Amino acid sequence: MKILNCPLNGPRNISEFVWGGEVRTHPALDCSDAEWADYAALENNTAGVVREWWYHVPTAYWIIAERDTVKDVIVRTYPARELFKDRVVFEAPAKQEGR
Amino acid sequence: MVFALLKYGLSRHYPARHQFPRPRELKPSYDLVIIGGGGHGLATAYYLARDWGITNVAVLDKGYLAGGNTGRNTAIIRSNYLTPEGVQFYDESIRLYKDLSNDFDLNILYSERGHLTLAHTDAAIRTMRWRAEVNKHFGVDSELVFPAEIAKLCPQLNLSDKVRYPVLGALYHVPGAIARHDAVAWGYGAGAATRGVEIHQRTEVTGILREGVNGTGGRVTGVVTDRGTIKCGKVIQAVAGASSLVAAMVGLKLPIRTIPLQACVSQPLKPFLDKIIVSGSLHVYISQSSRGELVMGGSTDPYSLYGTRSTLDFKEGLMMHMLELFPYLAEVKLLRQWAGMTDMTPDFAPIMGETPVENYYIDAGWGTWGFKATPVCGKRNAEMLATGKVPELIAPFSHRRFLEFKQLGEKGAASVGH
Amino acid sequence: MTTSRLPAPAGALLDRAKPITFGFDGRSYTGFEGDTIASALAANGVGVLSRSFKYHRPRAVLSAAGHDANALVQIGAEPSVPADRRRIEPGLSVTPQNVFGSLAHDRAAVIDSLGRFLPVGFYYKTFFRPKGSWKHWEKLIRALAGLGKVDLAAPHGYHDKQYLFADVAVVGGGAAGMAAALEAAEVGAEVVLIEENPRLGGALGYARFDPEGGHGASLMAELAAKVEAHTGITVMLDATCNGWFADHYLPVIRGTRLHKLRARSVVVATGSYEQPLVFRNNDLPGVMYSSAAQRLIRHYGVRPGTRAVVATANGDGYGAALDLLEAGVEVACVADLRPERSDGALADAVADRGVPIVRGATVTEAVPQRGLVGIEAARVARITGQGLTTALDDRFACDLIVTAIGYNPTTNLIHHAGGRVSYNEETAMFEVTWLPETLHAAGSVTGTFALDAVIGEGRRAGWSAARDAGFKVGAAPAVPNDRGQRGVNHPWPIFPHPKGRDFIDFDEDIQVHDILDAIQEGYDDIELMKRFSTCGMGPSQGRHSSLNSVRLTARATGRTVDETGTTTSRPPYAQESFGVLAGRSFEPERLTPMHHRHVEAGARMMVAGQWYRPEYYGPAATRAENIRREVMAVREAVGLIDVSTLGGLEVCGPDAAEFLNRIYTFAYAKQPVGRARYALMTDQAGVVVDDGVACRFHDHHFYVTATTSGAAAVYQRMLFWNAQWRLQVNVTNVTASWAAVNLAGPKARMVLAKICADVELSAEAFPYMEVRQGNLAGIPARIIRIGFVGELGYEIHVPSSQGEALWDALMAAGQEHGIVPFGIEAQRLLRLEKGHIIIGQDTDGVTHVFEADMAWAISRNKPYFVGKRTLAIHEKNGLTRKLVGFTLKNPADPAPKESHLVIRDGQIVGRTTSVNGSFVLGKVIGLAYVAPDQAEPGTTFQIRIEGGRMIEAVVEKPPFYDPGNKRQEL
Repeated sequence: MKILNCPLNGPRNISEFVWGGEVRTHPALDCSDAEWADYAALENNTAGVVREWWYHVPTAYWIIAERDTVKDVIVRTYPARELFKDRVVFEAPAKQEGR
Repeated sequence: MVFALLKYGLSRHYPARHQFPRPRELKPSYDLVIIGGGGHGLATAYYLARDWGITNVAVLDKGYLAGGNTGRNTAIIRSNYLTPEGVQFYDESIRLYKDLSNDFDLNILYSERGHLTLAHTDAAIRTMRWRAEVNKHFGVDSELVFPAEIAKLCPQLNLSDKVRYPVLGALYHVPGAIARHDAVAWGYGAGAATRGVEIHQRTEVTGILREGVNGTGGRVTGVVTDRGTIKCGKVIQAVAGASSLVAAMVGLKLPIRTIPLQACVSQPLKPFLDKIIVSGSLHVYISQSSRGELVMGGSTDPYSLYGTRSTLDFKEGLMMHMLELFPYLAEVKLLRQWAGMTDMTPDFAPIMGETPVENYYIDAGWGTWGFKATPVCGKRNAEMLATGKVPELIAPFSHRRFLEFKQLGEKGAASVGH
Repeated sequence: MTTSRLPAPAGALLDRAKPITFGFDGRSYTGFEGDTIASALAANGVGVLSRSFKYHRPRAVLSAAGHDANALVQIGAEPSVPADRRRIEPGLSVTPQNVFGSLAHDRAAVIDSLGRFLPVGFYYKTFFRPKGSWKHWEKLIRALAGLGKVDLAAPHGYHDKQYLFADVAVVGGGAAGMAAALEAAEVGAEVVLIEENPRLGGALGYARFDPEGGHGASLMAELAAKVEAHTGITVMLDATCNGWFADHYLPVIRGTRLHKLRARSVVVATGSYEQPLVFRNNDLPGVMYSSAAQRLIRHYGVRPGTRAVVATANGDGYGAALDLLEAGVEVACVADLRPERSDGALADAVADRGVPIVRGATVTEAVPQRGLVGIEAARVARITGQGLTTALDDRFACDLIVTAIGYNPTTNLIHHAGGRVSYNEETAMFEVTWLPETLHAAGSVTGTFALDAVIGEGRRAGWSAARDAGFKVGAAPAVPNDRGQRGVNHPWPIFPHPKGRDFIDFDEDIQVHDILDAIQEGYDDIELMKRFSTCGMGPSQGRHSSLNSVRLTARATGRTVDETGTTTSRPPYAQESFGVLAGRSFEPERLTPMHHRHVEAGARMMVAGQWYRPEYYGPAATRAENIRREVMAVREAVGLIDVSTLGGLEVCGPDAAEFLNRIYTFAYAKQPVGRARYALMTDQAGVVVDDGVACRFHDHHFYVTATTSGAAAVYQRMLFWNAQWRLQVNVTNVTASWAAVNLAGPKARMVLAKICADVELSAEAFPYMEVRQGNLAGIPARIIRIGFVGELGYEIHVPSSQGEALWDALMAAGQEHGIVPFGIEAQRLLRLEKGHIIIGQDTDGVTHVFEADMAWAISRNKPYFVGKRTLAIHEKNGLTRKLVGFTLKNPADPAPKESHLVIRDGQIVGRTTSVNGSFVLGKVIGLAYVAPDQAEPGTTFQIRIEGGRMIEAVVEKPPFYDPGNKRQEL
């Protein structure tokens, strides 16, 4: 059983976490269908160090872990806010009124 | 008949010849390169040679024959799928399987056992009926059965309602079978090699050559390996567990996550269990091999990994549920556990056929269901490669469906891997 | 086999004051406490323990350490127990495995004489002609295969688990392990020392290190006393560390308990497996390892024979010879495989005792007794080359052949941890060449055999492990240079015999030519050879067959041993029972606060995920009647259902509405406080994944419900998105904090009015789709006017602690109005009459919003919600199926079942998802997926029902009941 070092809870058995897959960058709302499919349907599935979402179930806390998917080694963990610093605003399409 | 064994007893020298001659060198060029010497790759080579006379073919594998998921799966064969596309596809596979021993002149130990997928909730009962109806529509022998009948089919099961998740019903799939997985690959490999296909083990593909790449996928012209570069006409990849990595060599991105699937066997026991038992809710499947071992597995691992390490949690969870179904096995001993790397797709269906790269074909996304598809994949891949047309049976599994968000609905049936 | 008990000090593990009687193969025997089954039987002159897997040859003790399948027996319902490890208990009833008839007269032994017709992998070569004949042959093969028997009546038994923690875990309590434990404990580390035998000592307890024979025992006593006295060391005896898992997570099995030990660092001091010498009939009872003979003598006080031939390639053979002599066994000859004289004191001592020593010679054949139950003599010949001997040989009458040709390190745990080994051609040994961080190894597992070096290495490993665990350490202990690696392993202890029966793998009856034949057939990769021949696949998992089979494969394929490689060792290290892995089966159960009221009211409870919910109330015999009564109560009077299992989420903060706008398909920004609104959730693929109701209690506060099975995932998904969006909102899963009921029926308001003082309930003051907070029977409550079942209704949420009180208050208040509790089945029908879908029943894993005909639930005026973009693509692509309501064209037709197929022109176009007979409407109603062009109301389509019969259905736009929705808005 691997240990994952939660930035909130300290080292915990990995069975307390749910894997959330690779951290992806949401494309702009006016992206092409192909770009959208790349984001919503396809996977990098990298062999090597990957930035991933992990969710600590007992404390309901999403964190980011950098994990080597070949060596099964967790390189680093940190709170999601390190990566997602700012409020995300989705602009309304131009023809519509904003709220 | 057993007379086949006489020569072994009566001849002075061991009468068998080498099944997989090892060509020393790679030729500078082949009509076709198959990346991956597992079941699917070898089957493709076999049918290319046997049915289409195409033998200027190299099968390349970075390891040994069938060393990937072909030799790591739990060898269950069934066609009780949920979607019409799935049922027809696997039904052809079963029909081919039944003839393989005779085709190969090698016993693949194909053993029809009957397959019970247990339902522990009324939602599961609805899914089982759905599968049964779709199966019957295509002439596949599946039926929804209830505990009284299950007790007759498999008296070894604990059908008590005093357990946490009592068995409410099951999908009974009569043709469900097991076989010797390695033998399937060996049969295909030997059959292909005998007809002139070159099988290069311990030969790793490190790159794929393309021309005309200009905002498009271009066209494949050759393959770079750790033993040299070869030119070729067409290439097909059949490398479960490494699909994304090989596809990336031609710039192709897949909807696949590589996730380990673990399995284990018990010590060999005298035969007591004929049926293949699967429980989606309990994440358990089990069959007894002809050697007497209980071959068991559960669901895929909780996170992705390019590795085949084993975990303790897997077998703890598996055995907890196993003993709910078979409480009398508590003193039976586990002998060995292992893992394979599976290509999990979002809709639990494979990715087959053409790609945006000209002359580059794919056979991937086999998740936990690749072994049972081996013959049909080989046969239809060969047809596609030989004729240049994608056979109807595999057309639904195109890579394009993900880009168009037209996923197949197989997810409803595959709550447990095997 | 003639044997007898030896006096002390032989038999150190025995308590001779405590005789124990047990049964084997139908007869009764007596041993002493401390005896294994095998040692007690040997003391009684019983040698044969089992019959072999393929040829049914008699087999006996080989390793006396559980390293082979020869000693596997059955005890009651427990198959494959190693008789050379399991200790006897009073009344134990032991039976042999895999015999047809009796151990002495096994009918299947005839297979041995047919051996040449059963080449390696013979079952691949035949039994399939004519087509289908394998079905019959398989029965025979299966009956012959397998060892132990399963007893379908066997009890589950008790097993449990315990977590343990250590700074340093030391696996193996021999000299190296004890030294490591002491060194680590000295600097303050908490050490757990795991030893699979009943006492510490390892080889010190049975091997001979000096001509006098006392050195091992005195060193063992000294080290063991220090270890046992040290407060920093916890010793686990009779405990097997059965694997290494990531981050030093070690399963340690002792009896029926699985200890899960988490350590900061680990020392592997697991020793090595002695290896067999390969010659004709090397499997016969009476052929055993030197360590086995010594274990029998020193541990169990059993004389293993009367006249022995020793074949050796190292000092341990001479040590064993001295032990045999001391035990009164005549040693007819020592055949030393090495041409030169190379052993000092031990060999000299043997020579001094007058034992003839033949150098450069080996045993080439064990001459069997009749029935192969023992040996009569050993043939000894000169070695002339690799695996070759002179044709002339000497015949030594004997009943015991003891072999000592070398070891293979017990690297199982090191393999599990990803460590690497490589073959050293000079020492003819696999050696550890790389270890992962914070894992250390010491002793013969590293190829170190010199006792001083073993202890030095142990200390060094303990020192390193303590350092890795964070302890301050001094200077590293020194390890003597001479590790004693030479002169231990013979490079080629394989002497194939023209007549075969020269076994490489005893478990699987694999002989030298089987391996060569497999290679000749093309199975020339070590992995292919193993898989084709099954060498190493039996119960001992290559412990005794791996080294020799790799050597053979290497030679046959012209590669080095290192190039050939070994097969991978996988967990578990030793066999482990299903029960010990399972432990006590913990399955969480969730009960609503009103659970006991349902049970008291005679509810039949059904499983709903981890929850239990009432299916209906009343006896199973009158199921339909019960459901009808419940349904009619709701339609005509009032009913009460427990909906506490629904998910509850508090969404608070200035961005609460914006957040819901992004999470759900509907619009929430302008939702007034005090209103409830439907909430439909999709994923990024546009697939419908959950639904509920969003109640606005404040500009910054929504209370959102989720489905029973979806609650946890909805919560997780909400947090996932906001970890990225960083909106000012806080989401809390309050599912367990709230109990909830739905009070529904025309008389619901009257019932509620009786216990409600502070909320105005009139239709004008509290209309449909509004929410209020107030007190009911003194209980603070959230009251939502919604109508899943299509009647005037109130969903009432109260703190969980008050759930039962609320239930009681409502039941009491409703008594005069004929209130009836109703279950899931009634609710399913009631909602179907209204055409409301159930996510997961009327949708599947790929159903998107348009297919579910729920475009009405999408707000198109907001820039974003999860799934919006993909839904736009779906809308552009058009539909392939659509969910519709239907009734039967001919009311006399039988009702379809849920999941019956919709067929058009012989093709599957859809299926029914919900079907029920409506009591109030007097007809069958349902929901089904049909082709998009069949979705117009009034369209007829075909359903294939039970027995393949086709019936006609007509699309009818729901709601089927009260199409104007007047009743829920009363």
